[in-house]
Amino acid sequence: MVHEAVAATHAVVTLDVGLPGIVWPWFVTMNMWAKSIGTGVIFMLFYLQKRHGDDPAVATLRFPVAVISIVFISIFLLFTLADLHQPFRMWHIFFYPHWTSPITIGAIMASAFMGLITILAFFSFIKKDDEAYDKLLLWTMILAIPVTLYTAALLSMCTARELWQMPTETVQMMLAALLSGAATIILYDAVTGSKMKEESIRSMAIILGLAAFASFTMYMAEMIFGPMKAEEVAAVLEFVKGHGEYATMFWIGQVFAYIVPMALVLLSIVNRSNNLLKLAALSAVVGLWVVKHVWLIIPQLLPMS
Amino acid sequence: MKLGFLVDLHLCMGCKGCQIACKVENEVPLSTWRLRVKYVDVGTFPETKRTFTPLRCNHCENAPCERICPVSALHYIENGIVNIDKERCIGCAGCVMACPYGAIYIDPETQTADKCTYCAHRIASSMMPACVVACPVEANIFGDIEDPTSNISKYIMQHNGDVQVRKPEKGTNPHHYYVGGGNVTLNPLASFRVEGHQLFNKLTTKMPVGGHH
Repeated sequence: MVHEAVAATHAVVTLDVGLPGIVWPWFVTMNMWAKSIGTGVIFMLFYLQKRHGDDPAVATLRFPVAVISIVFISIFLLFTLADLHQPFRMWHIFFYPHWTSPITIGAIMASAFMGLITILAFFSFIKKDDEAYDKLLLWTMILAIPVTLYTAALLSMCTARELWQMPTETVQMMLAALLSGAATIILYDAVTGSKMKEESIRSMAIILGLAAFASFTMYMAEMIFGPMKAEEVAAVLEFVKGHGEYATMFWIGQVFAYIVPMALVLLSIVNRSNNLLKLAALSAVVGLWVVKHVWLIIPQLLPMS
Repeated sequence: MKLGFLVDLHLCMGCKGCQIACKVENEVPLSTWRLRVKYVDVGTFPETKRTFTPLRCNHCENAPCERICPVSALHYIENGIVNIDKERCIGCAGCVMACPYGAIYIDPETQTADKCTYCAHRIASSMMPACVVACPVEANIFGDIEDPTSNISKYIMQHNGDVQVRKPEKGTNPHHYYVGGGNVTLNPLASFRVEGHQLFNKLTTKMPVGGHH
């Protein structure tokens, strides 16, 4: 148990109620992870269209990206719902909205986002109207930004959990979307026969590598400098330092989500190897889940009383 | 009117009368507490003492739980109490995550958030909260903190300099005060916790009756 016992006083809690345990479990990890992919692929498609519009394979991404986004946003919504203790009262959010809550704002934005990506799928598969798709993609991409970020606002409003700070969480959420979006596009291209041009896939590789580097740097900075500013942050980070309860899991996440992708992206660019890139993408997607999970759980282990 | 609570820790003797009265009055289910008394032992034998700290919702003026609740299930009432509408709560647990005092829990029977309401239903009938009535040493002082003639206001004035709140750095501006508190009693990180070990059970591991089979 983390503590900052003062040796001279020998203060020991001899009676208190048990800790409430993990209030937001892995369902919330799934929520954040799936949302990153669901919005990340939209960012990537928008970027690819602007930067590599001449690549015929990019034009074929319209429907698959809409479907991938629908699938992962559905997973996100499903786990959000499943995490509620009263899921059948979900409608209260829309009928008794409290506008200071990011949960309210997020639920409305995520619902609108789901509507937009469904229309994108309709435009690309049923109506086959690429022009309408591309126009709507701009607005979908714009909405994807707050949908990606609202969870950061929610975490930052948890006054009890000092580890989750604004704007750090905002940047981490955006980086997670870029990382997982690029990784998902790379994996999709690999699964469908590597049709994208080298320049297009190289752009995805660079985004993946840079997002991994930026995210890893931020986590390390928080590990080193966070404890210097706040007692609670210091206590929470003990869980991922040394022999902390979540130290192994934390480093597994960092290695898979960031260190391995960074190294493999670099090697793949130098060696022009798509296989290494596929491995980097897979590692990033898997590792991101672990990273998100550890960061979600550790502040909940701290006694509040 | 802004209702507030003050606990004089010099007077509290850890009898847990308030804790039980609260549980009975509000029909708080097993394994959950709206109010509980924390014991912290300080010092080395024979120079030891035991401190008692009743902990309940702080009814903050700037309540993180009220702000984060997506459906206004947690809401202010005119007298400053942060009340809860359990029929409206969706059980997202945002409030549990937001409260820096660990005062909110998910009721296992209703699957909704629950916490101390300063016995809002009793106050509406001009009665004192159950814990105040139960306290044998009048360590719990309850009243209007905006009325300078109220008992709580007088007590705060008399003990000026020794009145504290929990975690003031959070900016929540609690309406729950302590006289005679200190780092050990009010700061959860200032004392050691042996996981699973409690005064009345001394269990450090959950072993089956009769030990290992």
